[in-house]
Amino acid sequence: MLRTEINELLTQTGPGTPMGQLFRRYWQPVLLAEELPGNDCPPVRVKILSERLLAFRDSDGRYGLIDEFCAHRGASLWFGRNEEGGLRCPYHGWKYDVTGQAIEVPSEPETSNFCANVKLQSYPLVKIGDVLWAYLGDPAKRPPLPEWEFITVPEGQAFTSKRLQECNWLQALEGGIDSSHVSFLHSGSLDNDPLFKGSRGNAYNKGDLKPFFEVVDYEGGLLIGARRNAEEGHYYWRVTPWVLPNFTMVPPRGDHPVHGHFWVPIDDENCWAYSFDYHPTRKLTENEVAAMRAGMGVHSANDASYRPLANKDNDYLMDRDAQRRGETYSGIKGIALQDASLQESMGPIVDRTKERLVATDAGIIKARQKLRKAALALTEDGTEPVGNRSVDQKVRSVAIVLPADQSFIDGIGEAMVARPGVGQTTV
Amino acid sequence: MPKVVYVSALGDQSVVIGQVGESVMAAAVRTGVPGIIGECGGNSSCATCHVWVRDEFRDLVGEPGDLEDDLLDLGVSERRDSSRLSCQITLTDELDGLTVDVPAEQP
Repeated sequence: MLRTEINELLTQTGPGTPMGQLFRRYWQPVLLAEELPGNDCPPVRVKILSERLLAFRDSDGRYGLIDEFCAHRGASLWFGRNEEGGLRCPYHGWKYDVTGQAIEVPSEPETSNFCANVKLQSYPLVKIGDVLWAYLGDPAKRPPLPEWEFITVPEGQAFTSKRLQECNWLQALEGGIDSSHVSFLHSGSLDNDPLFKGSRGNAYNKGDLKPFFEVVDYEGGLLIGARRNAEEGHYYWRVTPWVLPNFTMVPPRGDHPVHGHFWVPIDDENCWAYSFDYHPTRKLTENEVAAMRAGMGVHSANDASYRPLANKDNDYLMDRDAQRRGETYSGIKGIALQDASLQESMGPIVDRTKERLVATDAGIIKARQKLRKAALALTEDGTEPVGNRSVDQKVRSVAIVLPADQSFIDGIGEAMVARPGVGQTTV
Repeated sequence: MPKVVYVSALGDQSVVIGQVGESVMAAAVRTGVPGIIGECGGNSSCATCHVWVRDEFRDLVGEPGDLEDDLLDLGVSERRDSSRLSCQITLTDELDGLTVDVPAEQP
């Protein structure tokens, strides 16, 4: 249904592209904090929005995100020595601080001022919660630091993981705002997964395969309501917030921790899924954290480079017997890989001119249109996009049963507002 | 009963006697008018029933709805001020003689 030029507009995020410029108006997750665990630890390669960068933490614990390549002759600084307040290229000893400023070019005469004039591209990198956030845009337009609830709840109440997804960011995001597939693809996990099972909502989810969608504009993006039949005279609503450009949350189930995702473009054919779980009012239990670390819920079991162990090279460990038995609907284990297997199977950038959308795709249509309008408004008229204000980010997903004659937006009241110390609204 | 005239890109006219309450898309699909597909059955989600409404009927037909407007922006081959998804135009007696142009291609 999408015209070719709009598919290109929405999926290309490199420097200079309209969507690339839009993404460069937001703080984005670029690493888990665990990837730079201490002062002078090994630097880490970061590719984001098609830019190749290097993140490191200097002797004083300051974080830096700089051009990966030495200004001298282009060698990768990943091979560098992280020592004594900077990162030194092992080729000829050039040394840079966390701002990308060259602070030593040892081959030059001591009287030389050469290194003062050498500075690599650099971006601010800050730790908030379990995540390192970067801003790659115009410094004059830098928004306030992120305030998402999953990074601002007290210590011990949140868990964040990441995994490589080998397809364009938009088809991953579109899975995140499509509640319709849950009743099929994830139906087995609603019974088995320790982070999902045992809520009343699961029965509604599985009992009504034809959800009705209602999509409402909300502050930084959309609230996407999926309505399913509940007890007589009532509907079960799952309300998924999407905040521009790439934040989504999954409606909660019972007292399980609430989860969501950032879908961060690496380049046009790969993205990182940052997947978080948190509970607004209590610490996560040991069992919950153990399940998350083991790759259950929205998380995945990965190798050291955060690529899932079940991936396209081994057909995601497809188990036809489990599919036949109904243990998993698709034969793939785990919610994250159930999604990733199908989204990656569409190809690196799905050709949306050939898709055939149906009524349950209303949220996807509205989100594409909002993204397109925001990118064009920014690049053609200089209009700053929404998504960076506190009110945009203090948002929550909701699961609720409402009388049949009540619209979800009236019925949820303030339930979609993140309020410290107030529990999630859940069924 | 309102009459609807569908004009193809080549200028061929199909004249359909519609029923009050049915959509301009449904009247076309029911009678096999070329170029109107209506794949999603009238849910405003596929954009395969795009038409351009002739000027003299635009006020009577009115403006597209919210989701319809998004689909016209994103999906159709040539969006014009007169573009509508014909599944979202309900026939009334006042619309007798309604004339719409059908694009050469639907998405």
